Amino acid sequence: MDMSAPLLEAGNLVKTFPGVRALKGVSLMLRRGEVLAVIGENGGGKSTLMKILAGVQPADSGEIFLDGQPAEVASVPDALARGIALIHQELNLADNLDIAANLFLGREKHRFGVIDKPAQYRAARQLLEAVGLEADPSALVSALSIGQQQQVEIAKALSLNARILIMDEPTSSLTTRESEQLFEVIRDLRAKGVGIVYISHRLAEVMDLADRVTVLRDGANAGNLEKSEISHEAMVRLMVGRDVSRFYPHKSGEPSQPVLEAEDLRTPAYPQHGLNFTIRAGEIVGLSGLVGAGRTEMMQTLFGITPATGGRLKIAGNILVPQTPLEAINAGMALVPEDRKKQGVVLEMTVSENVSLASLRRDQKAGLINRRAESDLCREMIGKLHIKTPDGKQLAQFLSGGNQQKVVLGKWLAMRPRVLLLDEPTRGIDVGAKQEIYQLMEQLAADGVAILFVSSEMEELLGMADRVLVMHEGRMAGELTGSGLNEESVMHLATGGRYSTSKSTCN
Amino acid sequence: MQLKKTLGITLLLLAVCLLTASLSENFLSSYNLENLLRRTALFGIISIGVAFVIVTGGIDLSVGSVICLAGCGLPWLLTTQGWSLPSALMAVALVSAGIGLLHGLLITKLGIQPFVVTLCGLMMYRGIARGFTGDQTVGFGDGFKGLRSLATGRIELPFIDGFALPAPCVFLLVIALLAAFFLNRTIYGRYLLALGRSEEAARYSGINTGRMTVLAYVLCSCLAGFGGVLFVLDVNIAQPSDCGNFYELYAISAAVLGGCSLRGGVGTIYGVLIGAALMQTLRNMIVLTTRHQHMEFAIIGAVLLAGVVADELIKRRHLRRKAVRSLREESTPA
Amino acid sequence: MKLVHLALAVLSTVAVSGCKPSASGSGKKKIVFVTNAVDPFWNNAAAGVRDAGPKFGVDSETIMPTEGVADQKRIIEDLLTKGVDGISVSPIDPANQNDILNAAAGRTKLITNDSDAPTSNRLLYIGMDNYKAGRMTGELVREALPQGGSVMIFIGRMEQDNSKDRRQGTIDGILGRSEDSTRFDPPEIVIEEAGFRIVGTLTDNFDRGKAKYNVEDTLSKYPDIAGMVGLFGYNPPMILEVLAQANKLGQVKVIGFDENEATLAGIQEGTVHGTVVQNPYMYGYKSVEVLSELIKGNNSVIPANKMIDIPARQIRKENVDTFWAELKKTLGTDK
Repeated sequence: MDMSAPLLEAGNLVKTFPGVRALKGVSLMLRRGEVLAVIGENGGGKSTLMKILAGVQPADSGEIFLDGQPAEVASVPDALARGIALIHQELNLADNLDIAANLFLGREKHRFGVIDKPAQYRAARQLLEAVGLEADPSALVSALSIGQQQQVEIAKALSLNARILIMDEPTSSLTTRESEQLFEVIRDLRAKGVGIVYISHRLAEVMDLADRVTVLRDGANAGNLEKSEISHEAMVRLMVGRDVSRFYPHKSGEPSQPVLEAEDLRTPAYPQHGLNFTIRAGEIVGLSGLVGAGRTEMMQTLFGITPATGGRLKIAGNILVPQTPLEAINAGMALVPEDRKKQGVVLEMTVSENVSLASLRRDQKAGLINRRAESDLCREMIGKLHIKTPDGKQLAQFLSGGNQQKVVLGKWLAMRPRVLLLDEPTRGIDVGAKQEIYQLMEQLAADGVAILFVSSEMEELLGMADRVLVMHEGRMAGELTGSGLNEESVMHLATGGRYSTSKSTCN
Repeated sequence: MQLKKTLGITLLLLAVCLLTASLSENFLSSYNLENLLRRTALFGIISIGVAFVIVTGGIDLSVGSVICLAGCGLPWLLTTQGWSLPSALMAVALVSAGIGLLHGLLITKLGIQPFVVTLCGLMMYRGIARGFTGDQTVGFGDGFKGLRSLATGRIELPFIDGFALPAPCVFLLVIALLAAFFLNRTIYGRYLLALGRSEEAARYSGINTGRMTVLAYVLCSCLAGFGGVLFVLDVNIAQPSDCGNFYELYAISAAVLGGCSLRGGVGTIYGVLIGAALMQTLRNMIVLTTRHQHMEFAIIGAVLLAGVVADELIKRRHLRRKAVRSLREESTPA
Repeated sequence: MKLVHLALAVLSTVAVSGCKPSASGSGKKKIVFVTNAVDPFWNNAAAGVRDAGPKFGVDSETIMPTEGVADQKRIIEDLLTKGVDGISVSPIDPANQNDILNAAAGRTKLITNDSDAPTSNRLLYIGMDNYKAGRMTGELVREALPQGGSVMIFIGRMEQDNSKDRRQGTIDGILGRSEDSTRFDPPEIVIEEAGFRIVGTLTDNFDRGKAKYNVEDTLSKYPDIAGMVGLFGYNPPMILEVLAQANKLGQVKVIGFDENEATLAGIQEGTVHGTVVQNPYMYGYKSVEVLSELIKGNNSVIPANKMIDIPARQIRKENVDTFWAELKKTLGTDK
């Protein structure tokens, strides 16, 4: 084995789907003990490239070298045998089984067909230690947080002696704390000589973690950045192919009328804590906190999905505690929910049907659908939000995440809300669409809409918000604004004041 | 899209008709066509009801038992209990609607699975019918000829000699048109389709999904009750222990053949009608062209499976083409 | 609730396996008559069971299974668990029910009625010879259609021996063949003999709707059909229903089986040529009588051929009125 040769080298990979060239000759190189970040907008070819490397689907042409030797990765088992493991964005664990059972699924340690549980637990404990997961191997996977489940996935890959770990947006559903832990594991693996291909939309993470960056755009290499060249601007420039003058457009406006006032509001999830806050017209307010801090629960209570158990809410001057989403909508509220595919869009309905879903009732004529209003609205929103779709009759499931999110936004813009609640609005969305959503938020705020948005991305939070509310274990831990608004102060409040660190994960 | 979805099943029905007509000269006789239309109408009515429930992603297994309850209840009230016709019809309608309401509330308020709720209904309503009739056959005997003509009557059509439209077809036509209009043109129909595909996304859009679900079950039970009345008017007698037995499966099959997905959100009334017609035509074909009546369910089952498989294949091809089109669209810069 | 049931079941099983099953409460012996389905036909039998009870000093009861073989098995099992002194059953599928029948025969006095299970350990069979009754039906068809013609047979199902025999007897009777109850003509084969053309046998599995559709489809398929034979009690009324709607009453000769009211009314009106009636009342009555003797230990009631014949009768226009009046009297519906 030639130890000086790169661990993995792929050259001129081409992959064509019916009608589309997903990869137009992409190259990539990974060394031992290195984290290579692969970034690019959605549709840039990242996922296809990873699937080819992990044996999920073959390339049409091009070559792959492992340790300098030409290799063919024909299938997933083949890839695993060669030490290449892919950790998917959606985790592939059986959550009704315990950790050990998942780790050894399909290759259980057994004696004459009877699973040797003690041996399996012993082996599992070692693996969990290696990834820094403090959990009992007999715990059910369903009892673990998403971050912990991901660690189980990594442990599983390690147990297969993976030398090349491909991670597809591993932090997309992790809290900052969990992400930190994951980074520790990744650094640890890197020190042990494992090569890691790291795909992410979160540029801050990439800057923190990556040794090199490979940027893809439209199925081709847009450029590579060495460690010293990595900067936010450089990455964005390569990704979008042009300079992005101001990524976060927001500038605070004049303070004005309060539109949403909560007084001692109690959510069913944390009835012991009363929540108090005020949001004014034209304001963009961020809502931060760790996963489980009660952010989504509060949004759902504001929107009448899980009605408040107590307290008062004043919406645009009217006292109303919404008992159903309809009441909230009628009061001028809109919610872009966290789980876009389940709660945001109806995947199997058309763009047009999705965009009109909330406004059908208002535009009805004696119970009948106002078809003209529906098609006008659809056209308007496709134009206004730059929704990339052949036409309004396209099913939402065929749109990219960013465009699906725009469809959800379009649905609410049709209602001309006075309060817009956004729950992780840019999760899993590519840079271009992200920026469009930021610009839209900015424009709405300028038009006087009050915006409250939940985000786990510190950069976006600090970049977009006039003020940030921080929640901790169900209570409002504090409010940050102006010069007091920085990453450390947010983390301090979000972790209940116990967090102290000198390291910065975001710039 | 709507047409494409039902194209396969329409062609299948045509093929079965052509095959039967070529094997039996009597298939196209007006007498046979009238019978076939009448049966299609009876089963079509209950199938439309079931389709509403299937569209919401639910299932109603109690249809056959509701048919039994209504089918036995009407003659029992009229002949044994001596009720007047309006009050008996009103009672049957109220009980049917009440059953649907009960199902809907149990499913939406208590969150019990539709399969379980209606499975219990399947056992209960037939049991109740057997209870109040004392497990005896009930029927109209020689009476109620006028009422019975609702199911057995024929409406002479101008310009067509020897062929008359069976009365239930008129009911079916009206119900189907109303149902299709409701599903496609009203906001409530749109709500049903939306909540069938994603209950959560519909709820997050301000739709009262619970109330819409209850509505679907009420419609289903009402149409089952109405179907039960027409069935007993057609056959003249009803035996509580077997009246409407397995009819829920015919109805569900027709809805599925017609393109309704049990996952919810998908379905056209036209497709359901064609599905119901196909089921009845197959049964008719087996009697007319073969002597292997005992193979009936094997043949129906095989056709049902073939229809569903073909539908799935067509859908996949269609989806792939759409996906590709959309990919192309996205890869061109806006 | 469940526990109570379980306890009762255990107790009664102990009681049964102990020695002699003791009848509950009254101290009277308990005799149960199990039919093969729910049908007005069995109401006549139930009347006989009811009348015979006090006469022979026993508790007598009729149970009608609704869901076929499995249901019948469950009923018999429950009876054995509860403990009864005698069972008379009309087995739905005798060839395949020997296990449960023999289990019953081992624990109580078991006889069969209406349909026999000759290979089981039942003590005797009360009923008519279905093959002979079928031949009587066939004779009625020959009377109604002296010139011959196409004939369709309608029947609920064909698994039971009694319906198989009845159908075969009918076919042999129509064609004037020699007596041979072991003969079998498959239903899918058209039989053309002696000027008749028996075009088929259609089953409906007790679904009245299906029974009706079968008749309709027959009219479609054979516009020239001359005769229709309905071999289960509800078949003739369904035939009449369809013929009335198609305006073919009287054109197509109808021959029935059993004594459904609509069938008897049809004979009076001339729309039905005739019917063959069993005597279900006597099945019930005789079952109770014989079982009460057997319980006493009087085995002399078992004939050498183990069959007590309750002969069938042909009902035509000339004797229908007398028969019907008699029937109403036994059923108590004559008031």
